Amino acid sequence: MPFPKQIKKTLPLVPKKELSARREQLLEYINKDGTYLPKSVLHADLDRGMLDFVKTSLEVTTAGNIVPMLDIIITTQNWSQYLETWKFVDLDYNPAPPFMTVVRSPDVKYGTNPALQYTIPNRKQFYYASVPTWDGNVQGMDIYTIPQPVPVDITYSVKIICNRMRELNQLNKIVMQTFSSRQAYTFIKGQYVPIILNNVSDESQMAMDSRRYYVQSYEFTMLGYLIDEEEFEVKPAIVRAAQVFEIDVSTLKKRKKQDSLVQGEFDFNFLFIEGNDILSDVIDFTADMKFVKSNNVSSYDVYINNNYYGSDVNVVQITTNDVLRIQVTKEDNTKESNILFENTLI
Amino acid sequence: MENLVPITRLGKFFGGEDYALDTGMGQEWLEGDMNFTVILYRIDRYKTKTDDVYGEVLEDGVQFLAPVELKGLVQVMAPTNKFLGNSKVEQQEPGNMKFSLYQKQLDDLGVEIFMGDYLGYYETEDRVRYYSVNDDGYVRSDNKHTYGGYKPFYRTVVATYVSENEFRGL
Repeated sequence: MPFPKQIKKTLPLVPKKELSARREQLLEYINKDGTYLPKSVLHADLDRGMLDFVKTSLEVTTAGNIVPMLDIIITTQNWSQYLETWKFVDLDYNPAPPFMTVVRSPDVKYGTNPALQYTIPNRKQFYYASVPTWDGNVQGMDIYTIPQPVPVDITYSVKIICNRMRELNQLNKIVMQTFSSRQAYTFIKGQYVPIILNNVSDESQMAMDSRRYYVQSYEFTMLGYLIDEEEFEVKPAIVRAAQVFEIDVSTLKKRKKQDSLVQGEFDFNFLFIEGNDILSDVIDFTADMKFVKSNNVSSYDVYINNNYYGSDVNVVQITTNDVLRIQVTKEDNTKESNILFENTLI
Repeated sequence: MENLVPITRLGKFFGGEDYALDTGMGQEWLEGDMNFTVILYRIDRYKTKTDDVYGEVLEDGVQFLAPVELKGLVQVMAPTNKFLGNSKVEQQEPGNMKFSLYQKQLDDLGVEIFMGDYLGYYETEDRVRYYSVNDDGYVRSDNKHTYGGYKPFYRTVVATYVSENEFRGL
């Protein structure tokens, strides 16, 4: 009975995440080292993902040596091929078997991934995340929206070129084990992208008059999708503005007269108590006195420096050191009365 | 005792002595004057380690008989640019080598060339290219390989370039 080679001597102490926690973990992978938005996944990223998948998941080891792999997609530029193969070339600088290579069909077709096919028309934007913002004064939220990813099918052929059947067997075993459930996944920028095994074909060179070698081709289809960050939208949402009022709680002092004079206008109230109907005062400013209102006054006469100025006048022009005298006729002599002037300094 | 039947065709104007003279002179010119040397690596088919299913040699498991120097006419075909299968990996595939030699030389040395044996040919002082025999030329009954239809006297071996992964000398 063969002894199992994979002996696990320790048990994992940290259980694997499941359900909601696993979904959050996947979201962290997508957002890792970046913004709140997923990173673009375009053709080059999918190609890189396929190369990484072949390099890690389909690695072939024969006679203790890893079968090298061209870590690029062969393009029209020949120099790039040499750049990748110089480590395992022969005297003629030809890549020496065994080695593996990945050939991509240049045509990328609309995807057949059922989760993404023709479900949302017109590149409609969908809510992806609400991101808090703070610019020092205004706190708010930005709404991030992205359109539905575009499904694409990319066909790759993984080829092994070798001289020995056992190298073919080794790769075949690994491919069959990896794709025993029809599909496997590669990990591209935090996202799992499925790969399906389509076909296995043989392109071996067995002519009598030329070099013989095995070429076996495994055709895979990557059910990928394109995410273009150029299509993402960020819109402002709710904004909260903080307004601060400062109030002086100290006791208010009585306004000084001089302060009023400085401002240029102030009121002058003449109060005539019961039994008094004449008021006289020396004026220490020059101003125009405008009648504002009166109370319990039938009429009034104005004298300046004992000279009659007028009766019921609306404006009285006075100068500094004038002696102003106002004599009123009350409507009711048993009550006090008053006259209010507004002075405008000249 | 082996039965020998004398060859009497062309007997009125050509015979065994003429044949021996002409082929001897040709051999002297080819092996003496031209002096193209190829090393024959004969695989020891009994000692070489192979797997039981495919008969493929294990890593560094090829065993050889003693290498033999052979003189002959070497023709190396032009290389061709081609893809390795449909891999789009382009390479310049070296051309085959045609190696023509006198059968008498092999008979004198007591060696035989078989399919799969390796030939080494020094292109420069420090660079040797190895070929695998894919046509050992054992059948030499055609007119081309006979001396005017009298008797076969040389054979042509066709060998294909092999990468170092398959064979890299002793």
